[in-house]
Amino acid sequence: MSLLTALDRQHTVAPAGYSRWLIPPAALSVHLCIGQVYATSVYKNSFIAHFDASQTAIGIIFSIAIVMLGLSAAVGGTWVEANGPRKAMFVSACFWASGFLVSALGIATEQLWLVYAGYGVLGGIGLGIGYISPVSTLIKWFPDRPGLATGLAIMGFGGGALIASPASRQLLSLYDSDYDPNVATSVASGHALVLLFLTLGIGYFLIMMFGVANIRVPAEGWRPAGWDPSSVREKRLVTTANVSAANAIRTKAFWLLWVVLFCNVTAGIGILEQASPMIQDFFRSDGVSTVSVAAAGGFVGVLSLFNMAGRFAWSSTSDLIGRKPIYMVYLGVGMALYLLLALVGDVATALFVLMAGLIISFYGGGFATVPAYLRDLFGTYQVGAIHGRLLTAWSAAGVAGPLIVNGFLDQQGKPGTLTSSAYQPALLTMVGVLAVGFVANLLIRPVPSAYHEPTTPAAKEAAA
Amino acid sequence: MTTEDTPTTTTSTVRLVLSWLLVTVLLGYGIIQTLITAAKLFE
Repeated sequence: MSLLTALDRQHTVAPAGYSRWLIPPAALSVHLCIGQVYATSVYKNSFIAHFDASQTAIGIIFSIAIVMLGLSAAVGGTWVEANGPRKAMFVSACFWASGFLVSALGIATEQLWLVYAGYGVLGGIGLGIGYISPVSTLIKWFPDRPGLATGLAIMGFGGGALIASPASRQLLSLYDSDYDPNVATSVASGHALVLLFLTLGIGYFLIMMFGVANIRVPAEGWRPAGWDPSSVREKRLVTTANVSAANAIRTKAFWLLWVVLFCNVTAGIGILEQASPMIQDFFRSDGVSTVSVAAAGGFVGVLSLFNMAGRFAWSSTSDLIGRKPIYMVYLGVGMALYLLLALVGDVATALFVLMAGLIISFYGGGFATVPAYLRDLFGTYQVGAIHGRLLTAWSAAGVAGPLIVNGFLDQQGKPGTLTSSAYQPALLTMVGVLAVGFVANLLIRPVPSAYHEPTTPAAKEAAA
Repeated sequence: MTTEDTPTTTTSTVRLVLSWLLVTVLLGYGIIQTLITAAKLFE
C-alpha cells in the first residue's frame, strides 16, 4: 500500500473502541502550528532590515498567506471531504513546512519573491487546507457537542500565535546573540532568520504528523454512547437532512451566514489590527500617553488570551443555548460594547481593557461557532467543504476591517498624536457593521427541503 | 453499530494521556509567556 493510499479516508476509519477524545488533540496539533500566521509581526522589522524593503513589501507576505488561506479552503473543501482528514492534514503539513523551507532559501539568497512564493503561496495553501481539515471529522465524532469540539480545535488557531511569538523571539535570540527582543529597534540577522524558518518548518511538520497519526473518521452509523439522535429533531434550526456544498451556496441561509461572519470578523479585526497604538491613544493627554509601549504590548497579550478563551468558551456555550442566540450575543452585546468604548472607553484603563477583551472574545467565538452553525443548517454531509467556502468572508473582512479603521484614523491626524475622540467615527461605524450582521442572523431560516440530498434510492435516482 | 461502550485498552489510555499532554504543554508554554507579557499592562 502506497503512502498516499494509506492516508485515504477508507483506511482512516476508526476501529471499535477508538476513543473520540484522541481527535481534539489531533486537530489541535494542526491548528496550534498554523496559528503561527498571526505571529509574523515578531520578525517583521528584521525582515525589513534584511531585505531593505518597505513595511508594505513585507506586509504583503502575510496578506498573500491570508488570501491563499481563503482561496484554498474554498477550492479545496470538496477535496478534503472526499479524501478525508488524514490525507488533508498530511498535505497541509507538507505545504506549511515547505513554505518555511522555501522562505528560508529566499532569506538566505535575499530573494523576497521566494518568501512570497514560499510562506505566502505554499504556506497559505497549507493554512487553508489545515484549517478546515479536522472540522467535519470533529462534528461527526461529537454530534452531541459540536460547538465544544470545533471550539477546542479553532481555539488552537488562536493559541498558535501565543506559542509562536515568544518561541520565535527566544529562537532568534539564541541564533543571534546581538538580537535583544526587549529593545524595539533591535533586529535579528539574516542568518538567524534562516535558522528560525528552518527550525519552525521542521518542528511544525513533526507536530502536525502527530495529528496525522491520531486522526480517524468514525465508522458508518457510529454514535456516542447514550446519545439519542432524535434529540436533534427537537430543535427548529437543526436539520437532520444533508445539503451538498454546491447546493449550500445557492441558499439564502449560506449567504446570510456569510454576512454574519463577515460583520463579526470585520468588527474584531478593527480592534486587533490597531490594538497597541489604540490603547496609547485612548489615554493620551497633552500629547503624552499614560500607557507605555511595554504596557501596550501587554494589552495585545491580554487580547490574545481573550481571543483564544472566547473560541472555546462561547462555542461550547452555543451547544447549550443554540447557535442563533449565541450570535445575537456576539453581535448585539458587541454593538453595545463598541458604543460604550466610543463614548466612555477613556474613563479608566481597566474598563477599556475589559470591553476590548470581551469584543475580541466574541470575534474568536464567531470563528469557532460557525462550523457548528453550518452543521445545524446543512447537516454533516459536506460541512467541511461548505465551511471552506464560507471562509471567503474572513478574507474579505481581513481587507475591510483595517480599511475602515485606518481610513478614518488617517483623516484624524498623524500616528502618535491621536486621542480617544479620533476613534469615535471608526468605532461607531463598527456598531453599524455589527447591526447589519445582527439583522442577517435574525433572517436565517432552515434550508428548504428542495436543497436536501435525496435519502431513498428512488429519490437518488430521480435526482441523478 | 459500534459505540464508546467498547472497552479501551491500556495502550489507548497512555496514548490519550500523551496526546493531551503534548498539546497542553505547547499551549501552556504560550499562555504562560503571554501572561508574563500581559503583566506589564498592570505594572
